[in-house]
Amino acid sequence: MKKVDISVILASSIHESKNAVGNLMYQLQTLKSEFDGPIEQVEKINNIEEGLKQLNDEWVEYLYLFKLASDGYDLQTDTLQVSEFLDDQVFVLSQSATARHLILSYECDESLLANFDERLLTSVISTGVYNALRFAKSKILLKAEVVDNYLVFQIEDDGPGFSDTNNEEENFLDSSTGLGLYFTELSAQAHSNNGKEGYITKTDSSSLNGACLSIYIPQ
Amino acid sequence: MAEIDFSNQRALLIEDMAEARILQKKMLTDFGFKQIELAMKAESAIELLRSNTYDVVLSDYNLGSGKDGQQLLEEVRHSNLIPNTSTYLMVTAETSIEMVMGAIEYQPDGYISKPFSQALLQRRLLKLVESKQKLYEVNHALDQKKYEQAIEEAVKVVEEHPFLESKCSRIKGECFLELKQYDNAIDLFQTALKERKMPWALFGLAKAYFFKGNYEEAESRFRQLMLDNRFFVNAYDWLAKCLVKLDKKEEAQATLIDAVAKSPKAILRQIELGELSAELNDFETSEMSFRRAVFLAKHSIYSDSSIYFQHLKSFIGIAKEHELSNRQVDNFKITLKKIQKLFGDNPKIKSGAYEIEIELFITQDKLNQAKSAHLLYKQDVEMGLAAPESDRFKKKLEPLLGESSEES
Repeated sequence: MKKVDISVILASSIHESKNAVGNLMYQLQTLKSEFDGPIEQVEKINNIEEGLKQLNDEWVEYLYLFKLASDGYDLQTDTLQVSEFLDDQVFVLSQSATARHLILSYECDESLLANFDERLLTSVISTGVYNALRFAKSKILLKAEVVDNYLVFQIEDDGPGFSDTNNEEENFLDSSTGLGLYFTELSAQAHSNNGKEGYITKTDSSSLNGACLSIYIPQ
Repeated sequence: MAEIDFSNQRALLIEDMAEARILQKKMLTDFGFKQIELAMKAESAIELLRSNTYDVVLSDYNLGSGKDGQQLLEEVRHSNLIPNTSTYLMVTAETSIEMVMGAIEYQPDGYISKPFSQALLQRRLLKLVESKQKLYEVNHALDQKKYEQAIEEAVKVVEEHPFLESKCSRIKGECFLELKQYDNAIDLFQTALKERKMPWALFGLAKAYFFKGNYEEAESRFRQLMLDNRFFVNAYDWLAKCLVKLDKKEEAQATLIDAVAKSPKAILRQIELGELSAELNDFETSEMSFRRAVFLAKHSIYSDSSIYFQHLKSFIGIAKEHELSNRQVDNFKITLKKIQKLFGDNPKIKSGAYEIEIELFITQDKLNQAKSAHLLYKQDVEMGLAAPESDRFKKKLEPLLGESSEES
């Protein structure tokens, strides 16, 4: 029998599933716009919608991960207004945060311009925020600034921090955290410029006392 | 975000899936658009764009079996069916983003990934329209082909809105190319490249070298672009142009064959390959390319009679080398019929079709058939349906028919 590349097959299956989820989201949106039942049921619909969106975003992450890991992703960088980018991310992710009674916000200098792949970083930020949603007590903060010719994105929360969930091997098998971090790292590394490569660090958050994931993108 | 009033604006929505189309139309209605027109595929969108001007175009990348959203965009931009001042938003799936973003030459103003909420679409649209308003004077000058003015306006925009610098440099570079100020263009693109290897800057630089006649410099840049951006098939077209100029026609043909394999639906590329192959006396490849071009021309703005004629001519080239297969004879007849059907009202084209039919019969030594076709031809000339025989026909082909003794 001809040998098949299972990762390619899995990637295309994920793609199919992602499209199916997209279709469900459309149907749900139509239902929601015509729905006029009690508020508790609207909330339930919102929860389903939010869950589907997260599923969709995760599958997008896996698709990028597949491309990055199989060396098949062409980076598309552009010069972007970073505050606007973060504003977009907060906008699309705030429903998920609100559903968990968490506050998601960002801090960034309005005039900051930087080069990066918007699509890929959108997936990186959502991956980081979905992860933070599981640990944060009340807040998640996105920050961005340029330090030493690196654009640094930071995702901070007020949860227990990385030190308590330190066993990476276990994490990798145990939850999506490890895979998410691997994806984030590959995405940072894919951004290379003039011989400099991107990277990530995991530290404690100085302002919120929880975890702080930093993504360094060379400029 | 600024308040933008859509109530006096006109939108075109291009989406093949009914579910998404209904939902998106509802979204646009909620935003207050005065007029929303719908197209289910690229071909009908082209018809609408030919006769109307839209302020906003929302197009899906996947449009079923015909042309995809990117090909549609390239065609309407190339033929100025959509002004630069309009806003073009492409709806993509993650897997098609690379195709859209990889098409360095013609990009939409923005993209939005499926699935999206009404709120997100509204936000994207408002931001894009807002940025289009800031660039209005620049784009307006571009639409009027006033490139010097566009450069001046772009400088003003950057002073006021520094974050539009990258976009404005790109426009300035393209204006320098239009104005044939190649040294200015080279300066600008090189400066941009010093900071970061932006594909548009590398592409601009390569084109500037090409137009300056510096084909070797251009060639190496186009090759670099092909390496960096697998989805940017236009780099192949440009590389082929360089190779033709450098008199490496076989290599150019091989490059185009690769490009055609990557994206077989691009009609201009098929025509280019067909012409180059005919020049190289490779009529089999020429025939195949023009056959595809004829097929693609059906719903294209490039539906010119010359494509059909070139397809027919390739059969004469083949017939000189060996006998045509039945299939080839059929294909010849199909295209001949298409010419008659599409352009038969034009006496000159009708004559052209007769002459090429007769030429093929002569090449195949089918003199009787050639003669009867000639008879029909002459009748049509008398009735004014076809134009009189061309000089080439009279000098080169008519004598071969051996009809000189016959009196009409």
